[in-house]
Amino acid sequence: MAIRSFQARLLILLIALLVLLEAGTLISVHLAGQRTLQRSIARELRVGANVLERVLDTRAKQLSDFLRVLAFDFAFREAIASGDQPTITSALTNSRSRIEADAVVLIGLDGTVTADTLGGRMAGRPFPFASLLKVAEERGEASGTVSFSGRPYQFVIVPVLGPRPIAWICAGFEIEERVLTDVRHLASLDVSIWTSSAGGMPALMSTLPPEERNDLVAQMSAMSNPLQPVETTMQLGNATYATLMQSLRTADGSRVNTLLQRDLEEARRPFATLELQIFALSALLLLVAVAAAVTFGRTVTRPLRVLAEGAGRIERGDYVSPIALKQQDEFGQLATAFNQMQSAIAAREDQIMFQASHDALTGLPNRTLFIDRLAQSIVAARRYGPSVGMIMMDVDRFKDINDTLGHHFGDQLLIEIGRRLEQTIRASDTVARLGGDEFAVKFTADNAEHAAQVAVRVSTAFDAPFVLGDVSIDVNASLGIALFPDHADDPDTLMKRADIAMYDAKKNHSEIAIYEPGRDEHSIRRLSLMMELRQAIARDELELYFQPKIDVVSERVVHAEALIRWNHPKHGVMRPDEFIPLAEQSGKISLVTKWVIRNAIRQCAEWKRNGIDLTVAVNLSALDLFDSELPTFITGLLSDAGVAPEKLMLEITESAIMKDATYAQRILADMKRRGICLAIDDFGTGYSSLAHLKRLPVDELKIDKSFVLNLTESATDDLVIVRSTIELGHNMGLVVIAEGVETSESWDILKRLGCDMAQGYYMSPPLPAKKFGEWLESSRWGNGESSRA
Amino acid sequence: MRSLLAIAAAFVTLPLAAASIDVRVQDARGGVMRDAVVYAVPEGRQLPLAKKTAVMDQKNRMFIPHVLAVQTGTSIRFPNSDDIRHHVYSFSPAKPFQLPLYKGTPANPLLFSKAGVVTLGCNIHDQMSAFIVVVDTPYFEKTDSGKATLSGVEPGRYSVRVWYPDMRDEPQPQTINVTGDERVAVSFVAGHAAAPPAADHQTHGHP
Repeated sequence: MAIRSFQARLLILLIALLVLLEAGTLISVHLAGQRTLQRSIARELRVGANVLERVLDTRAKQLSDFLRVLAFDFAFREAIASGDQPTITSALTNSRSRIEADAVVLIGLDGTVTADTLGGRMAGRPFPFASLLKVAEERGEASGTVSFSGRPYQFVIVPVLGPRPIAWICAGFEIEERVLTDVRHLASLDVSIWTSSAGGMPALMSTLPPEERNDLVAQMSAMSNPLQPVETTMQLGNATYATLMQSLRTADGSRVNTLLQRDLEEARRPFATLELQIFALSALLLLVAVAAAVTFGRTVTRPLRVLAEGAGRIERGDYVSPIALKQQDEFGQLATAFNQMQSAIAAREDQIMFQASHDALTGLPNRTLFIDRLAQSIVAARRYGPSVGMIMMDVDRFKDINDTLGHHFGDQLLIEIGRRLEQTIRASDTVARLGGDEFAVKFTADNAEHAAQVAVRVSTAFDAPFVLGDVSIDVNASLGIALFPDHADDPDTLMKRADIAMYDAKKNHSEIAIYEPGRDEHSIRRLSLMMELRQAIARDELELYFQPKIDVVSERVVHAEALIRWNHPKHGVMRPDEFIPLAEQSGKISLVTKWVIRNAIRQCAEWKRNGIDLTVAVNLSALDLFDSELPTFITGLLSDAGVAPEKLMLEITESAIMKDATYAQRILADMKRRGICLAIDDFGTGYSSLAHLKRLPVDELKIDKSFVLNLTESATDDLVIVRSTIELGHNMGLVVIAEGVETSESWDILKRLGCDMAQGYYMSPPLPAKKFGEWLESSRWGNGESSRA
Repeated sequence: MRSLLAIAAAFVTLPLAAASIDVRVQDARGGVMRDAVVYAVPEGRQLPLAKKTAVMDQKNRMFIPHVLAVQTGTSIRFPNSDDIRHHVYSFSPAKPFQLPLYKGTPANPLLFSKAGVVTLGCNIHDQMSAFIVVVDTPYFEKTDSGKATLSGVEPGRYSVRVWYPDMRDEPQPQTINVTGDERVAVSFVAGHAAAPPAADHQTHGHP
């Protein structure tokens, strides 16, 4: 199991070190103790041997002194000198009891025992301890240990002086246990002593306890009795004894064996006590150290733990609770740093969250947050009601504004729009910028009517002109409303339906539209149309309609504008605005354009064969201007059909040209060079500058129908625009044509203003080729004579 | 012990019928013996006892002289010339006696009627000792520088003997015949030359 806690590791390390240290100390103390003990026991034993020797010597000296005093007693000497045996014996006996000797023997100068206190046992015989006597003769006295009657004795010999030696008196003292006890008291050693003489069990004297003494007796016979001291250990009873074994050489050549013994257990006791004390001290020290380590560890690990917990909280995203560590040390600094880091992370995360959920430009919630809030509101509305409404809006012609006045201006406009929108709503509602010029509003609504009121209020944001710097601009927006639960059950659908409503508004030029159930099918139809378009060409479902362009002066048709129709098997005849934007979006516009041009040229050639001289006009999409192959393609078609290039007119909307003026100018110049006629369509709706216009190699200017549709003598604004446009065109050497002519009044006005050509329902709606031919035959505009001329 | 008995040459001297015996006493190493007593004991006859008096003085806690030779029958006085008391005693069989603590000269001298060596001691002062050599002959003399001359010896047969302090074995007496006026030389070697001391006299067996 891995120890993971820092404190535990610290503790274990410390304890291990301490235990090692203390174990080392204990071991060395133990070893030193053992050595000391051995040395001290050896010394004690040697000292004991000396003590024994000294005790015996002292005793001998003492006995010798006693004897000498006795021998000097005048009466005693007199008695000895008397030569009377009974007198001598009684004197000896008396002396024996005086000095408490065990035996007293009188020896003649010739070495023969003359009397003794042993019942005359020795009398008449040579003194048995001759060597002792010899020493006495030489030194005046002698003492020695002997084995007497199987027991260790000390014998002393002094002369009887008269005043010259007249005899020797010898006294024997048995070495009693008292002597050994003295030695034991002096040396703290057990002393055992026994004689080894031939035959018989020697008598043992010992200070050992009875049990050990018996054990020693049992072992005695097996023991060698060395002259030289031998140190050994003996097991006696339950105890082990350090033993010094030696023999005393006695005066009679016999052996007196001595053992000096030290109970090892007893000798060890002080050391054992010391070791126990050291052990106890070590244990105490260990406890104290552990306590200190735990305390210290806590002071280290507690802040660490607090810091770790704090870091864990930060990791879990808790940026609110700070680390509470009020310390001035490094941990405190670390905690402060952690807390600062925490608030920095919190701030940064807030910022990131804000950025992730808000639009960088306007600071409004973005699509993600909007959908999120929408979803929340729907959840809430499901439970508590009543309804959630949303408005989808985009700024009309924002692209044009952006292109004309620059991105910076566009951005500022968006910011201002956002600001104004926010002012129109309640705090509980949400305005979001979904991207580009697309905004959305979410609000709570009681019903559709209420929602419409909200939308109206929102739309007031666009009432006043936007003044940004030097520019004042009117901006309109299209608003689409959708409601939960009336129109959708989920945010995605709700947004989609608001989007549909918005397009309805845009299409109907109605500013605000509310989603109409079923409109989704239209949306789905658009989707499928895109996919069916390619097949449509193959199935020959496309058809060209033609609308005449009338020369105002001659009142005769001179041009025919080719307009595409899709004869859809399910949806019937579809106008180009229903599928051309789809074709543009799906990248199939090129196919459509080429199909139109090919068929227009073919029709033109057919008319030519039939003697009808008409210029055919074809609308180009903005995207077609980026197809650099297109001029070559057209030239090829013209020459194949045998149609003169000037019989083909390409109409390009003003806004298409302005998308990329430079490139458009180049490709238009190429067309012009090839002899193809060019016209600007929908003039007046874009923001083309005169400088641009001047550079364009165009032949014809077509005034947008919005100016012409309601053209009356009383419609002052339109009249001014139309007149000035005609003048502008003429001044630039261009042919000016007006479309959307639906009344004779507008025809007359145009004629009076000097407009070159006119086009519209007043003359003819767009007609299929066959009906157009009939129209040419029957219409007063289509007078074949003039055209044929 | 080497027997170094020398044959003494006898010289016939004056017809006065009185001979002299020159005695020489040497120790075993040839050194002179001081305070040796030489005396000639007539064989087969008893010479008349002496009626003499001798003195064994005590002075400076010493017996003076250390060796006193007298003929049997001599009375000896033991004056105390010290100003402290002495207790003179003898345990010798020839004349055991004691003169318990006294000062000055005891009233009566002691009669030494038995031949033999009397060892004297003082019971108060253990180091004091002296010898009175009582011989059964008028012919005795203490050696001086190892020599002594017994003079005026009547003709006859004599056993010439010697004694010295701490003698163990008496040297062999020498028998001589004195016939007239002559000088006889006798020589003795004191036999108790100290034997070389024993090498090992341990009494306790310790090394």
